[in-house]
Amino acid sequence: MDRKCATRLLTTLLLVISAWWSVTAQELALPSAPNSVKFAVIGDAGTGDSPQYDVANQMARFHAKFPFDRVIMLGDNIYGGQGQLDLIRKFSQPYKALLDRGVKFYASLGNHDDPANRRYPLWNMGGELYYSYATKNIRFFALDSNQVDRKELTWLENGLKSSQEEWKICYFHHPLYSDGGTHGSSVDVRVLFEPLFVTYGVNVVFAGHDHIYERLTPQKGIHYFVEGASGQLRKGDTRRSAMTAKAFDQDMSFILVEIDGNQLSFQVVSRTGTTVDSGTIQRQVRSAR
Amino acid sequence: MSRHDPAVLSRRRRIALRVSGFVLDYLIALPVGCATAMLWANTLPDSYFRFAHATTFLVNDIGIVFFFALITKEVAEATLPGGALHSWRRAALPVAAAIGGVVVSIACYLAFVQYVGEHMLKAGWVAACAIDIPGCYIIARLIFGRHPAVPFLLLLSISADAIGLACVAVVHPVGDAHPAIGLGLMAVAVGAAAALRHGGVKNFWLYLLGPGTLSWWALFLGGVHPALALVPIVPFFPHGLRDRGLLVEPAPQAHDTLTLFERWWRLPVEGVLLLFGLVNAGVPFHGLEEGTWAIPIAALGRPIGIVAAAGVAIAAGLHLPRRVGWRELVVVGCTASIGLVFALFFATAMMPLGPVLLEMKMGALLTIAGGGLAFAMARLLRVGRFAR
Repeated sequence: MDRKCATRLLTTLLLVISAWWSVTAQELALPSAPNSVKFAVIGDAGTGDSPQYDVANQMARFHAKFPFDRVIMLGDNIYGGQGQLDLIRKFSQPYKALLDRGVKFYASLGNHDDPANRRYPLWNMGGELYYSYATKNIRFFALDSNQVDRKELTWLENGLKSSQEEWKICYFHHPLYSDGGTHGSSVDVRVLFEPLFVTYGVNVVFAGHDHIYERLTPQKGIHYFVEGASGQLRKGDTRRSAMTAKAFDQDMSFILVEIDGNQLSFQVVSRTGTTVDSGTIQRQVRSAR
Repeated sequence: MSRHDPAVLSRRRRIALRVSGFVLDYLIALPVGCATAMLWANTLPDSYFRFAHATTFLVNDIGIVFFFALITKEVAEATLPGGALHSWRRAALPVAAAIGGVVVSIACYLAFVQYVGEHMLKAGWVAACAIDIPGCYIIARLIFGRHPAVPFLLLLSISADAIGLACVAVVHPVGDAHPAIGLGLMAVAVGAAAALRHGGVKNFWLYLLGPGTLSWWALFLGGVHPALALVPIVPFFPHGLRDRGLLVEPAPQAHDTLTLFERWWRLPVEGVLLLFGLVNAGVPFHGLEEGTWAIPIAALGRPIGIVAAAGVAIAAGLHLPRRVGWRELVVVGCTASIGLVFALFFATAMMPLGPVLLEMKMGALLTIAGGGLAFAMARLLRVGRFAR
């Protein structure tokens, strides 16, 4: 075999390997059980720029394989102008394919959102800055981390205390733990929320604000995710520490989540469709008071 | 030798500026509290925020009542013969200038918040009105010495803060408001204070424990920030016949109720200011957003509003005080850009705990740079100590 022929063979082989990797990387890494609860997570998305549309298109592509029925939004859902045209350009247009298929969005608000948009019907907030809803064995708590008053804390405590569901999932904008270099952990919010989360057995927490994806090692028994890169990105902004389980800050991303019984499976997909993180979390039965 | 001994008081007066001990205490206690809070919040944030959240109500809703009472005492005395507020005509121009400053500050604040798209900050617009009365006084005395520009600035500051406090009271009710109960209780509190005054009661404790406590509950239940509880009560305290000037040490021989009240409460208020700085000024340097600049930008707009409104008022027939010209007015406007304690107070009164409040607090602290701006402007315009 001459040298030219060997080069061709090697090139072909490399192309086949990369094509295979690209196809398998776009594959679903979740069980997609028929009766499981399936949802997606996006944060800091609403720029109205083409990367947001790319992420939204990728979500629609995965929806065909993994029919999630809801998307939770971690705040900064609309950047800049907050009028009706902005809501179209930065929300209903990019996610049109999902909205058309009946996927419901449940928003929490970030510091860039207009509080008046809690009344936007497609965000299902019921006009409230914090609210709760349940499906099967899961109760979601969408919280307001921008301004935390005693009323919200009392409401949260009562809600967590009375919740009968096996899974308690909280989501809001400012991360209690984050290795994002720009913002990092919001300690002032952590000292308010965390004691309640620990006392009443919250399992998983999602937050945004830092424009990266990060999964943290469990903190006081709670699994924390940061997803603030569904429309914004701060490349290379992660300052890895002992609490970093996995981080991705090279492209935008969203999270797919499936809960079946006591198991939560997650898959993090980049703007190009590559799986950048995946895994399972077993529900720890903790003594919720 | 007690701290109220005339010898001690005269020595203190000699220390610097011949200003009241209250101002000197302010100059020491607040920076110590703020610096400690900054250091603590940036080294051990968990323990700092646990401490700050646990003590916020005690300091911001109860302790600070006495700081505002001492400020009210100064204003009440200024309405006496010889005081800066004795005739409404003397107060008209600073009030007009204050309104201009407030309007332009709020406009700058809201425009900046809109520009950077931090819409959650809109709710804190009242903090844009705040002018730090003792802070401005210190800078003004350093620039002007004894000059009519100083009482002009103080009247302007008091007016702007009064507008801000009214906005806090009206726009942002605290908790579940019961206005009817609040109004009823307040009527009883003011009536009781008037009865004590009419009955010749001179012991300030009776005013504090009776009408003062009732007034606190009236505001708290009525949905108004209770920090202002002694504002309607202090004017009923028996007082001297003449005012020696705003924020000026009372005469050593003075023994009227207002003076005794100030002497007794000065040290506790020093502690309150230290705690106020400690509880409110702890902001992590890391991770603040552009919204942090909203209050400083508003403060930069204030001199423009003050000068413009004064121009309109002068065109309408009002007069600047003697020896105060346009150059002095510009420096007064720049000095009034210091928001500090009052901006911190308005921010905490308007916004619940959380990252948005932290941005506002940092912005309030940054307005201390207004002092530097005032000095630079005074030097540029050759005003006050730079006139020669």
